Amino acid sequence: MKILIVEDEKPLSDSMVEYLAEEGHMCEAVYNYFDAVEKIGLYQYDCIVVDINLPDGNGLDLIRFIKKQAITLGIIIISALNSLENRIEGLEIGADNYLTKPFHLAELNAHLKSINRRISYGGNNQIIMNEIRLIPDEHKVFVHDQEIILTKKEYELLLFFISNKNKVITKAGLAEYLWGEYMDLADSYDFIYTHIKNLRRKLLKQGCEDYIKTIYGLGYKFELN
Amino acid sequence: MRLLNKITLNLLAISLFVFLIGMVAFYFMLRQQVDQNINLELKKREISLNKEFDAAHTSAKPSVNLSDTIIITRIFHPRANEQFSDTLLFNQETNQYEIYRQLGFVKKIQNNDYYIQIFKALEETDRLIIRIVILMNLLIILIILTLIIVNRHSSRQDWKVFYDTISKIKHYDVNSHEDFALQHSDIKEFEDLNRVLVSMTERIKSDYLNLKEYIENASHEIQTPLAIINSKMELLLQSGDMKEKQYKTVADAYEASNRLSRLNKTLILLAKIENRQFPESKPVNPSIMINHQLESLEDLIHSKKIKVVKRMDNEITVPMNPYLAEILLVNLIKNALRHNIVGGELNIELTKEHLRIANSGAPLQFDPKILFKRFHTSSTTPESLGLGLSIVEKICTMYGFIINYSYQNSMHVMKVDFHKT
Repeated sequence: MKILIVEDEKPLSDSMVEYLAEEGHMCEAVYNYFDAVEKIGLYQYDCIVVDINLPDGNGLDLIRFIKKQAITLGIIIISALNSLENRIEGLEIGADNYLTKPFHLAELNAHLKSINRRISYGGNNQIIMNEIRLIPDEHKVFVHDQEIILTKKEYELLLFFISNKNKVITKAGLAEYLWGEYMDLADSYDFIYTHIKNLRRKLLKQGCEDYIKTIYGLGYKFELN
Repeated sequence: MRLLNKITLNLLAISLFVFLIGMVAFYFMLRQQVDQNINLELKKREISLNKEFDAAHTSAKPSVNLSDTIIITRIFHPRANEQFSDTLLFNQETNQYEIYRQLGFVKKIQNNDYYIQIFKALEETDRLIIRIVILMNLLIILIILTLIIVNRHSSRQDWKVFYDTISKIKHYDVNSHEDFALQHSDIKEFEDLNRVLVSMTERIKSDYLNLKEYIENASHEIQTPLAIINSKMELLLQSGDMKEKQYKTVADAYEASNRLSRLNKTLILLAKIENRQFPESKPVNPSIMINHQLESLEDLIHSKKIKVVKRMDNEITVPMNPYLAEILLVNLIKNALRHNIVGGELNIELTKEHLRIANSGAPLQFDPKILFKRFHTSSTTPESLGLGLSIVEKICTMYGFIINYSYQNSMHVMKVDFHKT
């Protein structure tokens, strides 16, 4: 997937580029509004990650510009401004997601993957990962073609793992992805532990290989060789 | 005591005192005047009587009407001439004693000394004096009363501004978004007071707003560097060539910076609720939200073997911001789950009046008053920010709900009253 990252903080932009490049995306970074408009005019992207506060303009205006040009691409807003109006306005003018800084790269990646699936397969897709088959639109999971029944959270967890396979997933990143950012996260790690334990049990029962590795004190890794 | 009452009472006491003394003095003065008057009259009669006596010896017929009582006594010893005095005489008609003014004088008639007493009734004049005094009294009392009433009334008008100011100061809230406007007064002192108060509150408010703005700006500015730190550490964690010890170090640092991020986000949220930056409100159905939350928490509920008892009126809607409503409910439910015991109970009761969430658990080890305080955590888990209930309270305050904690039948009960006081 070709992604344009519009973020004026170079170190943050670099982090995103590095993480997403490892996932096999083609990333380009620009650091201001003007360059972003130029790039969008010249090249075609599948997705754009845009900061609202840019030194020479507003990210929301950039989205309006994209919509006016009738360019179809996925849009993810990242902003330090976490006001509801901004969030609503951003989503109303056509953004797919709104992430508040600081965010987890794994979460950004998961959102990009979901946009990618929507763009690439028009929604009629399935994710096949060795013996696991996931149908995102129906929230169904098959292992060795046998359906396994997962709770909503377990399903979300599995999807998140698959989106960030072979990456270290921190517990904090998981908690925020599953529960939202305004939760008092006490005990959330216990919740996650419970969810993962159940998910792993259900997968193993169907003869699935144990992909979920615990990284002590840090989090988990969905390891595919 | 109110100043107005104090002034009125002082005025009343002083005027009554002065008035009493004045009345007594007035009575005696009037009395003296009347006496003098009567004395003069009696004197005149003495002269005329003398003339008549003198005339009696020369002419045969006295031409003066002597209808008033005259007592003529022959005396053998000389005595003082012309004496005025008050005396009581018996009136045979009314059958009682009456007060008279008498003049006694000595008259020599045909070489004999006679003491002659003539009288003038005082009854009439006495009554007159008393009537005058009573009338005066009534008049003065009326004047005083009118004065006091008029004074009170006009003072009350003047003081109204003062009382208005007092009540406005009493209800002054630096967080309030209404203007601190005071009534105008034509009294210099009150006008001065109001001016000082207005400028003082303006100063306080602007200081407060500056401080708040500073904190908000700081919080926002912190977000970007935090985002950089977090993303860099996330990348570091992905580079598989670290020893376990290094992993642990990075993981701890990552955990701490994550905590800082969450803390910052939550504090910004709190500030926003305080600033009322969630104005839009629509009917929210709490039962739908609660069911939704319970569904997403069902794994945890199962793992803790918690029995959920719901008694909810599914038709109820509360006008709220949906986003805040969700934060409120999530925090309350999660709190009730977190502090629950294995095999415990979670009771949720929703009526038009209130939402009551109760959970099993051991009694609190601290004063329930600090339950809603920021950064208060009973647990030692570093993941807990201790801000959950503080957010809950802020949201309740914003909507005028009343939140109460109590401990009943080994259950922690959180009750949110929807009705405003």
